[in-house]
Amino acid sequence: MLTSKEKERYDRQIMIPEIGLEGQEKLKRSRVLIAGVGGLGSSIALYLTAAGIGRIRLVDHDSVSLSNLNRQVLHWEEDIGRKKVDSAREKLKKLNQSIEIETIDQTLSESNVSLLVEGCHAIVDAMDNLPTRYLLNRCAIQKNIPFFHGAVQGFEGRVMTILPGKTACLRCIYRGSIPEEKIPVLGVTPAIIGCVQATEVIKYFLGIGRLLTNRLLLYDGRDALFTEFTVYRNPECDHCGIPVASTACESLE
Amino acid sequence: MPVKVHIHATHRRFTDGQEIVLVEGNTVGECLNHLVQQFPGMEKALFAKKDKLHNVVEVYLNHASAHPNELVKPVKDGDEIHLILMLAGG
Repeated sequence: MLTSKEKERYDRQIMIPEIGLEGQEKLKRSRVLIAGVGGLGSSIALYLTAAGIGRIRLVDHDSVSLSNLNRQVLHWEEDIGRKKVDSAREKLKKLNQSIEIETIDQTLSESNVSLLVEGCHAIVDAMDNLPTRYLLNRCAIQKNIPFFHGAVQGFEGRVMTILPGKTACLRCIYRGSIPEEKIPVLGVTPAIIGCVQATEVIKYFLGIGRLLTNRLLLYDGRDALFTEFTVYRNPECDHCGIPVASTACESLE
Repeated sequence: MPVKVHIHATHRRFTDGQEIVLVEGNTVGECLNHLVQQFPGMEKALFAKKDKLHNVVEVYLNHASAHPNELVKPVKDGDEIHLILMLAGG
């Protein structure tokens, strides 16, 4: 149940017919993992906190540095040297005291990813590298938790929503590893992409609209253009591919 | 009617700034070879070696993923190919 203060706080979105009191209560009951509190994570965390997602778990091992500040708007000059999760939690609690913000100052890895996502209803990708994205993708599929992918570079970004076992996953379009290097990013790009991801999370919890499933949304700020591409599940995907046995069963039907 | 190849913004320096290049071919691979014939700078941008695209290059045919085995996918006149780059930043 929403308190009277919460009803007032979320009034403008409760007024949206697809949300209402019932939708707002759903958001309050939701638990989200945001993997990374950098550029994408800043906008995702800010807007999900403002929207009234009940519990948010932030995972990041990094500390704030000066070169983060062009895009990671949860972190300010006074935070340089602080743990990003601590800096983020402080701002988010000031924005919305009622949201439970759990912070985990760890590097996501093969050995801890399963534990870190435990109890979450959605995993939001705000990472800055591909290998960790694939770790999250696989874990999300194994645990049947929706995964909200986003990535940026320069003026460009992309978003895709993955419903495990139902829609194409990040690995379905995997073409092999790419070199890891320092990635240039204009600050507004992760703000835009993170907001699209946050919208997807909210839509998912409310059960409304058309998710970006089997749809890769590309944004190019240079041309101010959003372009959509259809993506397909890859039956041979090493994360979500259909096991040989079940393929055989299906072909008998 | 030829096939339209949409060039990624960062590759347009190899195509004299052209966003769209018209090519001929029966497969995605043939179309990309024709693109490279017209703009040789595109070869290094797209291909790691002969008939092997860089892992970072994604190919979409008529706004749908051509993965896997992109290069052998058949195309017909009027089709559109988008060359997109994988992104990894956050």
